[in-house]
Amino acid sequence: MKLDPGFIWTSFVALLSALPMTLFITVVSVGVGFVIGSIIALLRIYKIPVLQHIAAFYVTFIRGTPMLMHLFLIYFGLPALIDAISGAFGWTFTSASIPILVFVLISFSITAGAYLSEVIRSGILAVDKGQLEAAYAIGMKTPQALWRIVLPQAFAVSLPNLSNSLIGMLHGSSLAFTVTAVEIFAKANIVATTNWKYFEAFIAAALLYWGITVLIEKGVSILEKRINVYNRGGVA
Amino acid sequence: MIKLTGIKKSFGKQEVLKGIDLTVEQGDVVAILGPSGSGKTTLLRCINYLERPNDGEVAIHQFKVDCKRASKQDIHTLRQKTAMVFQNYNLFKHKTALENVMEGLVIVQKLPKQKARELAVQALEKVGLGNKLNEYPSRLSGGQQQRVGIARALALNPEIILFDEPTSALDPELVGEVLAVIRKIAGEGITMIIVTHEMAFARDVASHVVFMDDGVVVEEGPPHQLFGTPKEERTRQFLKRSIQEWSYSI
Ligand SMILES: Nc1ncnc2c1ncn2[C@@H]1O[C@H](COP(=O)(O)OP(=O)(O)OP(=O)(O)O)[C@@H](O)[C@H]1O
Ligand SMILES: [Mg+2]
Repeated sequence: MKLDPGFIWTSFVALLSALPMTLFITVVSVGVGFVIGSIIALLRIYKIPVLQHIAAFYVTFIRGTPMLMHLFLIYFGLPALIDAISGAFGWTFTSASIPILVFVLISFSITAGAYLSEVIRSGILAVDKGQLEAAYAIGMKTPQALWRIVLPQAFAVSLPNLSNSLIGMLHGSSLAFTVTAVEIFAKANIVATTNWKYFEAFIAAALLYWGITVLIEKGVSILEKRINVYNRGGVA
Repeated sequence: MIKLTGIKKSFGKQEVLKGIDLTVEQGDVVAILGPSGSGKTTLLRCINYLERPNDGEVAIHQFKVDCKRASKQDIHTLRQKTAMVFQNYNLFKHKTALENVMEGLVIVQKLPKQKARELAVQALEKVGLGNKLNEYPSRLSGGQQQRVGIARALALNPEIILFDEPTSALDPELVGEVLAVIRKIAGEGITMIIVTHEMAFARDVASHVVFMDDGVVVEEGPPHQLFGTPKEERTRQFLKRSIQEWSYSI
């Protein structure tokens, strides 16, 4: 086997055009997943009748099945469902007019939501109950107390886990290549097959993923230092 | 005037409060004494509905909340009229001393930031922490944290401040500074209920002393009477034991 180091660089540059797609998929699915995850976590913590069981089922099902499976279930199942509904109502709308990317985002948001709900839940539970009671005692209502007192502290506690989830979703976004969304991995595949240089192209892709991962870790650790100023003890 | 009528509270099968009646006049400093597990903390927490009583009524002046009918809004109003100082301070960890005190003024009372800041600084100066405004709780000693807790309660200008053993989590050498602050604000005519094990403090500062045991008020009266000539045998026993412990600890 002959390695063409120069082609690694060539591939790397070519892959940069797919970087925005990877970042877009990652950021949207983690963003939407965060909202889903927060709702799921609160439903379970506050033991909301019926909904808490649905939430628990969602979390165990999604965490118990591969991310690629979610993608395929949504990618193949949702269009069929949409067409059936559209047909039943006699609409002219068909799923074919929905961009593939939408299915990717829906699927990955569902995946991220389940994982993030666990991160958020354990973060909230890690906050001392006394914090909430003190908030109530000064006359705050529940949403104020959660938003201003509990969640900021839960967020600080959860940062390392959130960072892991973000990185997990970044890497997971490569699965989108299976449904022809052109993100970094798919692009690497295209560069590889058109030039017959698989190894170089995938080394370049690996370097790019690794680079973003390192940047995320650095960014989070700076954020963590900033946010955790209040935890730096030592009596003055 | 704060009036509790027939407050009952059970946890599971255990009845912790068995019908408590208590009247606190404007400007009163009421000390609640009693053995561990007698329901003192639970009673305080029933006043601001951190625990919901199973039966009874809490009245602050004309505002009456019957636990059978208490709505969310009633509970919210009740909490705005009261303030609480916790045994383990419960300062908002991610907020500075100043922010801790401002939080309720800005978010609950909706005062403009500038006004809230003024009041908060005033309250912190009153408890002797004018030089610690921007410190986070993790960088304050226990005594300082509790004084921030008192400032947080004081700044809200509530009808009554509820203290739950404000000094019992403190190292002995820090107890004095906190008691001194409470004594000072008691002298300013602020109505308060203090659950405490500090007998000397209760005797000197309280205007009214309540002895609780096993979920009931056994005896109450002015301090000279309750400490000097207690009528009930249970009170006498308790005082005897406490004063012994107290002298051992010296
Ligand atoms: N949330 C709760 N769930 C179950 N039982 C509780 C709860 N809170 C208090 N209790 C019980 O109620 C009883 C009274 O407790 P409470 O804390 O009011 O006593 P206390 O007089 O404040 O005691 P101490 O002097 O030790 O603080 C105790 O037996 C306690 O175990
Ligand atoms: Mg107690």
